[in-house]
Formats: sequence, C-alpha cells, structure tokens
Amino acid sequence: MSPAGREVTITIDGREVPAVEGEMLHDAARKGDVEIPYFCYEPKLGDPVGACRMCLVEIEGIPKLQTSCSTPVREGMVVHTRTEQVKEAQNSVVEFLLVNHPLDCPVCDKGGECPLQDISYGWGPGKSRVIDEKRHFEKPIELSPLVAIDRERCILCYRCVRFSQEVSEDAQLQLIERGDRTYVGTFDDRPYVAPFQGNITDICPVGALTNYTYRFRARPWDIEHAGSVCTICPSQCNVSFTVRDEKVKRVISRDNHEVDDGWLCDRGRYGFEMFDAPERVREPQLKGGAVSWEQALEAVAEGLRRAGGKVAAIAGDASNEEGFLLQRILRDALGSPHIDSRPSRGPKADVLRRLAEPNVSAKVRDIDEADAILVLGTDPLHSSPILDLRVRKAIRRNGAKLVVATERPTALDGGAEAIARYAPGQAAHFVGELASAIGGSDNVATPVAETLRDAGKVVVIWGERIAREDGAAEALLDVAAATNMSTTDGAGLLEIPDTTNARGLREAGCLPDAGPGLSDTTAGKSTEEIREALISGELTTLVLFGADPLRDFPDTPAWEEALTAADFVLTFSMHDNATTAKSDVVLPLETHAEKDGTVTHPDGRLQRVRPSASRPENVVPNILVLSELATKLGLDTGIDSQPTAFQALTNAVTLYNGIEDEQIGGRGLRWQDREGATSARTGTEQPGPGGPPEGGSPDTQRDAPISMVQPDPTPRGVASADPPSGGPSTAANGDLLLGTYRDLWAGPVTELNPPLKFLTPQQRVEISRTDAERLDLKSGDKVRVNGIEAEAHVKERVPAGVVFMAEGVSDGNANALLNGGPVQVKIEKLDEATA
Amino acid sequence: MSFDPKSASYLDSIEVVEVQRGPKPGGVGGAYRAFGETLRGLKTTMARLIEGPMTIEYPEEKTPVYPRFRGRHKLHKFEDTGLEKCVGCSLCAAACPADCIRVVAAENIPGDRVSAGERYAAVYEINLSRCIFCGYCEIACPFDAITMGHDYEMADYDRRDLIFTKEMLLAEPVERTPLKSEGE
Repeated sequence: MSPAGREVTITIDGREVPAVEGEMLHDAARKGDVEIPYFCYEPKLGDPVGACRMCLVEIEGIPKLQTSCSTPVREGMVVHTRTEQVKEAQNSVVEFLLVNHPLDCPVCDKGGECPLQDISYGWGPGKSRVIDEKRHFEKPIELSPLVAIDRERCILCYRCVRFSQEVSEDAQLQLIERGDRTYVGTFDDRPYVAPFQGNITDICPVGALTNYTYRFRARPWDIEHAGSVCTICPSQCNVSFTVRDEKVKRVISRDNHEVDDGWLCDRGRYGFEMFDAPERVREPQLKGGAVSWEQALEAVAEGLRRAGGKVAAIAGDASNEEGFLLQRILRDALGSPHIDSRPSRGPKADVLRRLAEPNVSAKVRDIDEADAILVLGTDPLHSSPILDLRVRKAIRRNGAKLVVATERPTALDGGAEAIARYAPGQAAHFVGELASAIGGSDNVATPVAETLRDAGKVVVIWGERIAREDGAAEALLDVAAATNMSTTDGAGLLEIPDTTNARGLREAGCLPDAGPGLSDTTAGKSTEEIREALISGELTTLVLFGADPLRDFPDTPAWEEALTAADFVLTFSMHDNATTAKSDVVLPLETHAEKDGTVTHPDGRLQRVRPSASRPENVVPNILVLSELATKLGLDTGIDSQPTAFQALTNAVTLYNGIEDEQIGGRGLRWQDREGATSARTGTEQPGPGGPPEGGSPDTQRDAPISMVQPDPTPRGVASADPPSGGPSTAANGDLLLGTYRDLWAGPVTELNPPLKFLTPQQRVEISRTDAERLDLKSGDKVRVNGIEAEAHVKERVPAGVVFMAEGVSDGNANALLNGGPVQVKIEKLDEATA
Repeated sequence: MSFDPKSASYLDSIEVVEVQRGPKPGGVGGAYRAFGETLRGLKTTMARLIEGPMTIEYPEEKTPVYPRFRGRHKLHKFEDTGLEKCVGCSLCAAACPADCIRVVAAENIPGDRVSAGERYAAVYEINLSRCIFCGYCEIACPFDAITMGHDYEMADYDRRDLIFTKEMLLAEPVERTPLKSEGE
C-alpha cells in the first residue's frame, strides 16, 4: 500500500466508491460501506495471504472470482459482490469450512462473538449436504499454560501462524501435517511460551484458540466492555475490559494505532486477577490493623503535621491528578519541596525541559516511518513490550535500520544493523562518544554512528535508566542535534521510563526541582537524597504513593534502613508488600480498572483511565482521599471529583492548558499536537551539534570505534556486534562488573496473578562464556554473588567482564547490590553439597 | 369536501333512515314482554340447575392444564448417565426477554463430570418473580435441558425465595397440577 497512492474511483455493486490506487479492494469496499465477508484478512498481520477464500468477488474483465483481500485497486475497476456466482462461491466456502468444523457452539467460548457463526448465518447455505463423520482431534489441549487450542475448530486461516512469524517473530507456531489433518502447533509439541501469545486468541476467527483465564467465564450478552488504559507498564496500551458482575473477566485490545497498534502483551492481558488477589489492600491500615477511614486520615494528618516540614514524598504508580494533588499537599500544605517520582537519580529540570521540547520528541507512530531506529540503554521487550513489536514492524515493513546500543543483549539484536555494547555505568560516556561520532566527519565512526548519520529520520528509543548517569541526558540531546531531529519531521527521542506514568508525574510536578508543567520551583531533594536524609534524620516522614522502594529502587538495604529510621511512613499501595509491612499507615490504591484519571504516555499523549469494575467496599477514589487529606492539613484544593481534579491539573500545568476531557476522548491527545502547544522551555538555546559532554572520552580514545568503549576503572566493557569478541577482559582480582535489568515478568504481576505464576522469574546470573570457563561454571550451577544465591546462566552474547542480574525478582533482587555507582561482584561457585 | 358535522352541506349529504320501533307498552305485546321473555330466560336457568354448582374449590380442587401449558421451568438430566443436559451455554439467558436467567458456566473435571460436554452450568438461576413464562428459554435451548413444566403455584412470602437455583430446578417437581387427559 503506497501512502502516496493516486485517488481513484471504482464501482462496487453499481456504486462509485473512492479509493487509493494500490490499496486492497477489501479495504476500499469497507471504506465504501460494502461488506465483504472474510476470515484471514487482517492488515495488522502484514501482507494478505488469501487463505480462507471467503472474500471472493467478481471483477469485470477477470473471468474467475478474485479474493478481494489480495487484489489491489485499479482505476475504473467494476466489482460485484452480490451476483449469483459470488453467492454460490460464498455458500460453497462456508459449506466447506463447516465440513469439519464441529457444531459445538453451545460449549465453545467464542459462541456469540464468532465470525464463523456470523458469516455462516449471513452468507452460508443454511444446511450441509455432508453426512460423513467430521474430522476429530483430541479436544482442547494446552498450546501453552495460557492458551487452549481446539484443533477441530480450526479453519486454517493462518492468522495465528502469521502473528507468530511476522509480528512477534518468535516463529514458534506452525501448521503441521497436510490436508484436513493440518493443525496449528509448535515444534515437538512444546508449549508456546512468548510474551505476546495472548494476541492469537484475539485474532482467531473461530473458537480454536481460547484463553484459559476466560474459559467459560461469560457470554457476549453477559458482559459489558469498558474502555480504559492499561497502566502496568509505560506502554499504556489501550485496553477494553470485559466486565461481568462488575468484575474484570478479560482484557482485550482497543486497537489504538497511535499507541499499541492493536496488540497487547501478556502482562497486560492476563494481569487482571491481581485486582482480586488476597494480598490486595482493601481497607486503611494503621500499624498493620484495619481502621476506619476517619481514624486513618486523622492519624495521617497528625503524623504529617508532627513532621513539621521534614517530610518527603515519592510517587510511583499514580495518575496525573494524583501526582498533582500529592505535590500540592507537599509543597503547599506541608511546605516541603522534597518530592520525586523516579526510582533513582535523573536529569536536572532544565535538561528535562529540553527533552520535552516537541521538536525533539517522537511519537510512537514515528517508529513506523523511521529510517533508522536507535534502541539505547533499554530492552523494549522488557520495559515497554509493545514497542518491541513496533520496532520489528518498522524493520519488516518499512525497512528501517535498527541500531542497538545497550549494556545487555536485547531481544531486538537479531534484526539490528549494528550493535554496540557498553559496560554498565558507561552509558553517558558512550552516548557522548556517539554524539561526537555522528556529528564529526572522521571516517573511523562505528557502524552504529554511520547508520545514524546516513539516515534521514532517526527515532531514538532510550531507557530512563541511562539518565541515572550524569551527563547522559545532555549527551542524548547532542545526539538529537547531530541527527538534526529538531528540523526533521518524524524524527525524535522517545523515552521508555522506569515507571508507568513517569512522564505524567514529572509534568504534574512530582520532581524535586520543577513544579507543575516543569516550571521553576524551590529545589528539593531527589529520591536518593531523600533516602540519605531519612537515614541521617534530616527528614523524618515519608509518603510513598504507589512506590515500592524495597523492590523497585536501587540499593534496597539502604531503603530498608531509611524506612526503619523514618518516624512516620505513609504508604498508598495496591497490594501488601515489604514496604507496606514497614509503614505506619497503609491506604489502599485503586487498580487501573477502578481508577478515574488521566495518564501521560511517554510520547506526551494524555489518556484517560476510566473506572470499569467495582472497587472493594472500603477502597475510596484516591483523589478524594488526597483532597480530604489536604483539607485536614488546612489546604483547600477545591477538588472533589475527577473533573475538578483534571481542571486543576490543566490549569496548573502549562503544557496541558486548555485541554478538555472531550479532546482526550477514547484515543488520547498528545499535548504537543495541539494548536499553539506551549513549550516547556522558554529561551534556552538548542544545543549545538556534536559538543561532547563533560566526562567525554579522552583524546586517545577518539580513534577507537565507539563500540569498544573501555570502561573505567577496571573491567573492560565489551564489545562490538556478534559474535562477541572474547579475550581476557577481567579485573586483576577476578571481580566482574554487575549490570542489572528489569525483567518483563519480575514483579507483583506474575506473583499475584495465578495464571502468570509459572512465568515468575528466578534470579539468574548471566555470564559470558569466557568468564564462565575461567570460573569453571556451566549453566545451572549454583553461585553466590555478593551474598545473593542464584543460578549461573552462560550466555553467548554477554560481553566478557560483565554479569547481568534481574531487578525486582522476589528472591535475590539485584537492586540489593546496587549503590549508585558501578558495582564489582565476586562470583563464588557453590558446591552441589552446600547448595 | 368538508367533514365538519355542523356544516350544512354535510347534513345534506346524510341519508336519513327511519328507526323501526317495537310495540308500545301495554296490551298483549306488553304482557308478553313482561312474562314470556322472563320465562324464556328462566328456562335456561332451570335447565342448568340440575347440573349442580360449577365453582372449583381452589386450592382443594385444581383445573387441569393442557400438556403444553407453560408453568415453572424444569432442568433435566440424562436418564441413563445421570449427567445434566445443560452445558451452561447461556442461550436461554440471551433469549429471555425478561432477563431473569443467570448462568455462570464452568469447566468439567474429568472423573467428576456434571454435564456431558466440556462445560457445565455452575450457577443456574431463574428469578421467577420476573419471569413472564414466554417459553423462549425452552425454544432456545439446544439440548432440551430446560422445559416449561405445569406447576403454576409459586406464590411465596419473600421475593428472594422466588429465585430458583439449579438444584431446585433439577429436583423432581411436586406434581401439584393435574394434567388434562386426552380429548378433555
């Protein structure tokens, strides 16, 4: 489909329909309100295959019937969809499909929302002439622990196979056998385990692929669909909750091309049973015992008043309104500037303002059209899964060149044009080098820099965690300048933050050095400084809103100490966890199926989270709790509902000024896209191209390819593209550099959702072959890493000199080892006997 | 043409018909009307007198119902296997115009089957205070698992007691209502 196609007019059933030359006839017909039945056609899956033969139409000048899904439109085409010939073909196709399709609709989960039912009813012959036995397979078997497959019902439309091959690219699903014995399966009948497998149940046009979590739960007439936004990760995919008896029974995609392209990851799709987990905080708790809301709020107000301004707050999983109210309470009612929304350090406010400039920020859809994509310091599969599919799509469909520059091997490495690995703690250094290599004209630039330099539209997907290092964000702006992002349409930076609504909370004012709208304000303490101040006694009181420092923040032992040292800790939490156990007052949070509020996508899109399911009896809307608390502390916010909270937010945040709820609607609104959108920054100059940031490389290293950055001080971070360059590269004392990453499945979402429990990750120490040989380790050996016991996992692509461990896992959280700087770890092999 | 009844042209257009009247009171005609007609009516009364009283002493006595009378629902089991016929497909709930049926399905565990298929109704409730006894559920059922019975005596003291559960609907109903016999 060429986007610049010529406008043509075709005739369908005697009616003139406008179309774009080259688009598929089926699409043109749909736009012209002509319904053509189909099973296999799905533009999201890529090129049409014409497998189901349901969309046959008659085209004048072509003697045989053609599949409308794979016939491009031509000027003056005359198409008939309702002639005798077409009807006979449609009847025959339906009859053929029903030769082997069992009529167990009353039992089938798809019954009532089944395209095969609808099409048989609308276009089928009404009866079958077949009297023979139908094909039989063993009734539902596990395709995976989450998806059941009933092979009898499969009509072999190829959709799931195409999804696996061409969208998620895990290539696990195949059609096996031939003829009517064909079935969908995996090699050797292994379970299909992939992070996006749930999507195949959405696209299956019959009841062959169904969710175990929704098995026999409800019928389409029993349920209501409630559109909302998933806030489990920063992707903020648009979802539709299937609600029965006011409980969420299923999560399906709401298909917003600007955000998620109609796909969902399994975390969002199956992560709804935690709404009703036994661990859910269902009422206010004071020192572990349930109390009434009045008592709880009285205790909170008393605790905060007693702090006398020595109070700090950290927001985690919160909506914009909640973040806005929280910072008002802190700044205006308690007179404390110490508020943050980041798990660790981050760039200063003026850098954030420059990063928020509309002309250097990319929107999600820009990935589709980009010439080159740089994935920097993040693995989208783990931190924002839906962007992983987006990047794959850009490479596959648009020929985008992908460049990966990370510490740890990523899932996208296979499709990358160039790969660079830098050592943990060297991100700022690497990005600085990269900026000067792109900007400079020397011929020794690495493949990474060359690919980016030669490309027109560059989209940089970068992880918030690189900005924990001083100068990294500034260097990133240099990269933006070197690739002319500000003057190129469709180019820009796209951040993948560590927390769900990181951008919204920053813009709502949950930053130590910026108020609402990233405005100037009295500087307060950032997350790490808050922790130190709590330990030293400089601060006495802490408010945690949806943040779990004992799991998610680096240096958990120090946080443990800080929470113990604090006189009063107020925690808003959805579930009981280690942090709530150390809190004085715990107040319940709403889930994203219960909340009413707005969140901001990392690309600046404001989206509305709508209440879809009923909340437990004693859970109260959080904005009401916060405004009540503000009143008790003597601050009249005038907020008593979501609309008033949203009004207050848009009035205070200059970036959102004048945005109406109706404009957000169901699809969201990027604040940058509005007429006269205000810029966060006023009067700051664009950074000049190429200037290396402070801490840039010494001149001696200028000539070296940047992918061979030598980390300082000890071990050598490695190494260029695969195969990884081996070689001795370890510190003299044999210690290795620790790199950490957040695993897709680490966290409450797998631990509290029974269907996802089997995915709960165990701590693994990923180690290079070179180091493994030196330490005489093989995969599966038990090792102890600075006190954490874990299993060694020898990984080909891990650079020598570095080991990687997962953050946020319940057992052996790598966050316990981090202390803000590069960490050296000692690997001890445990004997089988002691292990 | 105007149809205003008061307009002259309308009155002119009406054909006036002379009413045929009976004889004036008094005389032979009057006497016949006073006694003859009364006796004629009494003849019918007297003729029915020997039949005895027609009153049915409900509830001691009950009118038999026709075989296709639509009374309280029944759920059925297979006679041979004892499994429930209902698979919990919820089609009855979809067909119900009064929205009085609630079905929550669940999956059969092999070895402890409830119904014949993969699926069974874990919850099957009919709110009889809302039911309009239209019989659509019976028509919708693909397995003849629900039929309309003959019982119409469902009055109770509490509305909650009118929500019939699966166990109540499966139980052999008390045959309180006589059925009309062939040709009756």
